[in-house]
Amino acid sequence: MKIFIYILSFIFLIFNESKSIDFSELKTKNTSFWFIKDNSIPIISLSFSLRGGSSQDPDGKEGLSYLMTSTMDEGTSKFNGIQLRQFKKLNGIKLNISTQKNKIEGSFQVISSQVEQGFELLDQVLNFPKFDKSDLEKVLKQMEASLKIDQSDLSTLSNNKFNDIFFKNNNFSKRIKGTQKTLNNITKDDLIKHHKNSFNKKELHIGVSGDISEKSIKKYIEKVFGKFSIENVKPNFEKFTDLPRGQKVIELDTPQSSVVFGHPGLSRSDKDYFSLRLANYILGGGGFQSRLYKQIREKKGLVYSIYSYPISYKHDGFMMGGFQTRNNSVFDTIDRVKDEWSKMSKQGITKKELDEAKAYYKGSFTRNFTSTVSIANLLNIVQFYDLGKDYFSERDKIIENLKLEDINNMIKKKFNKDNLFFLIVGSPEKKR
Amino acid sequence: MNSKIIFLSVLSMLLTFSYDVFAKAKKFTLSNGMQVVVVENNRAPVIAQMIWYNFGSNVEQKGKSGLAHFMEHLMFKGTKKHPDSYYSNFISKIGGSENAFTSYDYTAYYQIYPSEHFEKIIELEADRMKNLTLTKKNVEIEKNVILEERFQRIESDPSSLLDESMRSILYPNHPYGRPIIGWKHEIMELNYDDVKSFYKTHYEPRNAVLVISGNINLKKAKEIVKKNFSKIKNSNTSKFKETLDPNLNSQVFVEKKHSTVKQDIWKKLYRADSYNKSIKRGIALDLGMKIIAGGTSSLLYDEFVNKKKIFSMIGGFYQGLSRGEGYIYFYAIPNEKIEPKKIDNLIMKQIKILVKNELSLKRLETEKKKYFYDSIYRMDGILKPSEIYGEALTVGLTLSEVENWNKNLDDITIELVKEEMLKFIENKNYVIGSLQN
Repeated sequence: MKIFIYILSFIFLIFNESKSIDFSELKTKNTSFWFIKDNSIPIISLSFSLRGGSSQDPDGKEGLSYLMTSTMDEGTSKFNGIQLRQFKKLNGIKLNISTQKNKIEGSFQVISSQVEQGFELLDQVLNFPKFDKSDLEKVLKQMEASLKIDQSDLSTLSNNKFNDIFFKNNNFSKRIKGTQKTLNNITKDDLIKHHKNSFNKKELHIGVSGDISEKSIKKYIEKVFGKFSIENVKPNFEKFTDLPRGQKVIELDTPQSSVVFGHPGLSRSDKDYFSLRLANYILGGGGFQSRLYKQIREKKGLVYSIYSYPISYKHDGFMMGGFQTRNNSVFDTIDRVKDEWSKMSKQGITKKELDEAKAYYKGSFTRNFTSTVSIANLLNIVQFYDLGKDYFSERDKIIENLKLEDINNMIKKKFNKDNLFFLIVGSPEKKR
Repeated sequence: MNSKIIFLSVLSMLLTFSYDVFAKAKKFTLSNGMQVVVVENNRAPVIAQMIWYNFGSNVEQKGKSGLAHFMEHLMFKGTKKHPDSYYSNFISKIGGSENAFTSYDYTAYYQIYPSEHFEKIIELEADRMKNLTLTKKNVEIEKNVILEERFQRIESDPSSLLDESMRSILYPNHPYGRPIIGWKHEIMELNYDDVKSFYKTHYEPRNAVLVISGNINLKKAKEIVKKNFSKIKNSNTSKFKETLDPNLNSQVFVEKKHSTVKQDIWKKLYRADSYNKSIKRGIALDLGMKIIAGGTSSLLYDEFVNKKKIFSMIGGFYQGLSRGEGYIYFYAIPNEKIEPKKIDNLIMKQIKILVKNELSLKRLETEKKKYFYDSIYRMDGILKPSEIYGEALTVGLTLSEVENWNKNLDDITIELVKEEMLKFIENKNYVIGSLQN
């Protein structure tokens, strides 16, 4: 095998002065995508997303999307599973398709000298999966084992239980992997139909970064994504109304309890989105600096890890948090979380805290530009959430212009300790 | 964000290891013995900085397990000049991120931050090598945090408890047999004096490798690092002495039963030579293991998951990047209940057949290609190169060994791979574990 010496002589900065980045919006016949050429390393990275995901699984067939994305690379019209995996190895191809609550996401990479083979494989997996009965059975067995392993993992278990209760009647309550029972209801025809529905152009977004020319990447994008159907099967997203409050205990024999908590939030398109993010950064986000971290871990040593974060989708959002603590300190810790919540709504945040949070959000953004994978991913996400072509230059200004008074008003409206819901899994000791 | 420890708890250690030929690292050594590696990459105005100390739980005295990791937590508690969480707060303010981890052979601290703040971060890192101001209260509160961490990572997870027992048997004499986080009863007894003396003895420039990767050039790195680190003196010359383990003369099965376990898992852990013994042989073994047991394209997977449908998953890997002995790890998830001994027989019988009949030149060439491609992927980003150099140098490899790593590929013949795999089959230093309900 020939090993070529590649010297990093093509070093260049993709940043201009204002920290925005130069990408091109490219169009093929009926597919558009965002692209940044980067030949500092012989890799091409592509990231795509399709609105939909596990929330769209039919009732009684929860887990359908996950099963589909897990089975697509088990065999295609041209390759069986073994051939496919050998082909990936031989050509330095990485491909991962995954299901999330609100989308299907794909990450694809290939060594640039093998670009033809790479897109050939991507085309096969995305457009011609076979869903053979034997492959399906195999993946179902693996999912069955994985569901069982999840049940002995305290953190996954508590997140699943939280999911079931917190989202109640909303289609977000559908578990991504489904359950043993719902998985058994899924047929090959379901997968074929779901594949056709999911991989459509209307809900598709693509970002690419790497060592390839504009002309070539257009050709390959058209070859692969040009085949997606243009029928629009519009996904249905329901607002998070009537979220539960209070607390619920699920008994389990463990030395420590896992607590997951939730609270209403904001959608990604809400004008207060950044205010919420910065406010949460101060309360329960950000490294070793948040109030929850300082009060509950650093000062009291009650937990190893404690956090909160906003999850904002296009249609709506919520806030979530969690910690694990010894059974005898569960309710004490919950009280402390509530205290921080009410301190937040009563006193808001200080000018100093806001300035530091702003500095963090402005400074941390550049980390997204350190690899072709993260660049491709970012290009994809900005399109997915409709943040606009000028997002890269506007983001800093949006953050800089946030006013303390406005944020504190938002906090007063949004952060209400009585809206918190705590799910506890373990054997918590009642307060004496 | 809060992960402050690396557990070589086996399932999570699926990191493979191979180096790249084209990341041109530059190295210099300060007069106090501290090594510095610079990997320039100007894609974005960001630096990934890691300081690797060449000790971890391996240097703890008997009875003081968990001390290295405890110390790692306390390194965030501030100095006289930069008290309390000044350092962490500064990192946050500039949009950086940071963390640290402790392993058997090393303890590392890293920050990713906008490159304009290079000088300040270097100053802060140098300051905490010797000037930490610890209080008894710090130590007592942090002890609770660490106990919570142990509950969260180990005691609430039957699979981790099983790994812990397996390791304690596999390494009856070497510190690798003790959990990095420490045994619960020993963590509880650790005190202020233990911590103070550990800090003083081990946190020394001669024990450190600083790796700076990203938007930085050698000249500037040299100037700033020298200015801040050169003045730090070593306070002792104590040398670490590797303990050796005896050969295991009996076969040990470890069984962990727990009410929350719903899926049986079979595991097998071997001691094996590390890369320190021979890089070439290590790579040969790694490639052989990849063909036989690596991922969903392995021969074992094809036999037992695709064809015989006995397991839903099976896999294994070699990890040879260690100061002491390395290890080989196998796991299988059976579709139906099978006795662990029977699983072992099934797998070992099959491995013998595969090594004899299926280890072909063609498969080796495919694995070599993938090995090479993987090393290119590792250079996409700035943290990975820091990790690669830092880890390799702290376990005792040299910069030139790292840079010339892939050149070994050309010399690895199918015969050498077979030889290593046969050695593995004959290896009696193993423990079998089984997780059950």
